[in-house]
Amino acid sequence: MSGNVRFNFMHFLPYVHLPENHKEFKSLWVNFSNKYYDPKLGHELYERYLSELVLADKLGFDAIVVNEHHNTAYSMMPAPNLIASAIIPRTTKAKICVWGTPPNLEYPNRLAEEYAMLDVMSQGRLEVAFPLGTGMEYWANPINPTTARERHKESIAIILQAWTQDGPTKFFGDFYTYRFLNPWPRPYQKPHPPCYIVGTGSPETVELAAELGFGYSAVFVTKQRALELNRKVRERSASYGHTTRPDQLPLGVITYVAETKQKAEEEGIEHIRYFFEDALRTTPEFLAPPGYLSVEQLKMRAALADKLHGKFDFNAVNEAFFCAVGTPDQVVDQLSEWGETMGTNHFNLMAAVGNMPNWKVVKNLSLIAEEVIPRMRSEAPVARRVAAE
Amino acid sequence: MTEFKRETHTVNGVKITLLTAGSGQPLLFLHGAGTFHGFEFAKPWADKFRVILPFHPGFGESGDDPAMTDIHDYVMHYVELLDLLGLDKVNLVGFSLGGYIAAKFAMEHGHRVRKLVLVGPAGLRDDKHPTADILGLPGEQLPAMLVSNFEVIKPYLPTKPDLDFIGDRYREMTTTARLMWERPYDTKLPRYLHRLTMPTLLVWGEDDQLIPYQQAETWRRFIPKADIKVFKGAGHLVLDEKREAGDAVQNFLA
Repeated sequence: MSGNVRFNFMHFLPYVHLPENHKEFKSLWVNFSNKYYDPKLGHELYERYLSELVLADKLGFDAIVVNEHHNTAYSMMPAPNLIASAIIPRTTKAKICVWGTPPNLEYPNRLAEEYAMLDVMSQGRLEVAFPLGTGMEYWANPINPTTARERHKESIAIILQAWTQDGPTKFFGDFYTYRFLNPWPRPYQKPHPPCYIVGTGSPETVELAAELGFGYSAVFVTKQRALELNRKVRERSASYGHTTRPDQLPLGVITYVAETKQKAEEEGIEHIRYFFEDALRTTPEFLAPPGYLSVEQLKMRAALADKLHGKFDFNAVNEAFFCAVGTPDQVVDQLSEWGETMGTNHFNLMAAVGNMPNWKVVKNLSLIAEEVIPRMRSEAPVARRVAAE
Repeated sequence: MTEFKRETHTVNGVKITLLTAGSGQPLLFLHGAGTFHGFEFAKPWADKFRVILPFHPGFGESGDDPAMTDIHDYVMHYVELLDLLGLDKVNLVGFSLGGYIAAKFAMEHGHRVRKLVLVGPAGLRDDKHPTADILGLPGEQLPAMLVSNFEVIKPYLPTKPDLDFIGDRYREMTTTARLMWERPYDTKLPRYLHRLTMPTLLVWGEDDQLIPYQQAETWRRFIPKADIKVFKGAGHLVLDEKREAGDAVQNFLA
């Protein structure tokens, strides 16, 4: 693996104080009542989570990744730009990745503005992704899911136009009309921050990433499927004249490192279980509102049901998904192997999984920073360097 | 025993299938948002009418057209179908979503409608007797809400998980969502319903759990000359549940 190996710390900022009877709820998304949200506990969680994000920067992670979800205990980030904004002044080197706000859920000019603000505020540390948004987001927001894909394309076109052309410009689309598209400020990076599409592998989003020359990050797909998707992205991008760099294919990996394999499993699995069994628990209707998927995709996904949402078997999850739980050596081997097969040098580590307590997150991040990252970069351990400075 | 014949036509680029039976004055029936329960109830009408029962674009045996994004596109679709079939004037019967289309069609093209029957029509906003939000209901709850007597639709439902059935329903809900996701009613209906000056009958099942039968009176506030027939022991699928409801339609149109 090249020396440019990149490590992100991705955090979902979950709300973990669920009521005792929460198993009775089929979904912790969309209709799971917000009466179960205690703002005092929420405040403590924000404080804690922000400290974890900031720690990743201090420990030498290359990037901090946040994203957006609505109406759910899975994430306390319906507005990830606010989190990005809170950590920018508390971090110095790490890229700030907002991966991201679904453009369909904001006015495109406003999203272009907010991202430009973050890019300027951070002196060009911003990276963005343009997800379509999960099916669940369309139940929570006033956007017709049958228009999602067309609107998504149009929104991205508006944002790119706003970022790359001197304003004011005009845009007359199917969904939006701009007579004076002229957002201030403009991004710090030229022509604009690095862009990705994050998706679950529908052909439409892969094609869009390929067409625009964006990176593509497949989330919540099996290893086999992720491999096919990376191949597809490279192939389709080439057909538009774009060469996909390895760093444009970030690989999401649930990661927990400890002194021994047994300890890693003892400490980590219960939170991975929570993540799959509870945090992700929702219904087929919420996953696929009408028109969100093509009928073919719906049938395909219904047939595959339900490896991801709801049931949990660690061995099955470990087998099917990118899950690195073990000693530093084991995790280094695992990541190196996946990097090779997937053709990437960009690892998006989900290292604060589910209801993991602060001490485990800190321990996990520290071990990754001291024992995993340096070996993969063949560099001196970063944490020790920080201590020496 | 009456059997339907199938015809296929291309209307403005969309391939559609229609079922037809009988002869006499044309009776155009516009179905609702789900086609799985069939059209047995329409067969007796073929004794006296030329029954024409098209699948809407995006439903049942007709093709898709994602560019049809509002009810008015369906009104124009039926203007074009009648032109294509060479029919100047029809008896128009619309059920549920089809009732919404039929009401809008008759409002705009009243000269092409001899008599109008609206069966549990969608489309009117009635805050006192609100329509259930079918797009927001879990799929497994919906069938039982369609009828008063579950046995009536049981034969049309799969007995075990059936991907094709799931896919077909998802497709029809997708088409419905294109028309109704933002709002499952037209706030302009009350403004123009007075244009329904042709003889009009409102038919409802008293146990309708989707569109409460009390909405019939709300419709009649705007269409003063309309008759109302409410059938006991029937739900939203009143035509499937009560032969008398189909007979009432036939007698009214005669």
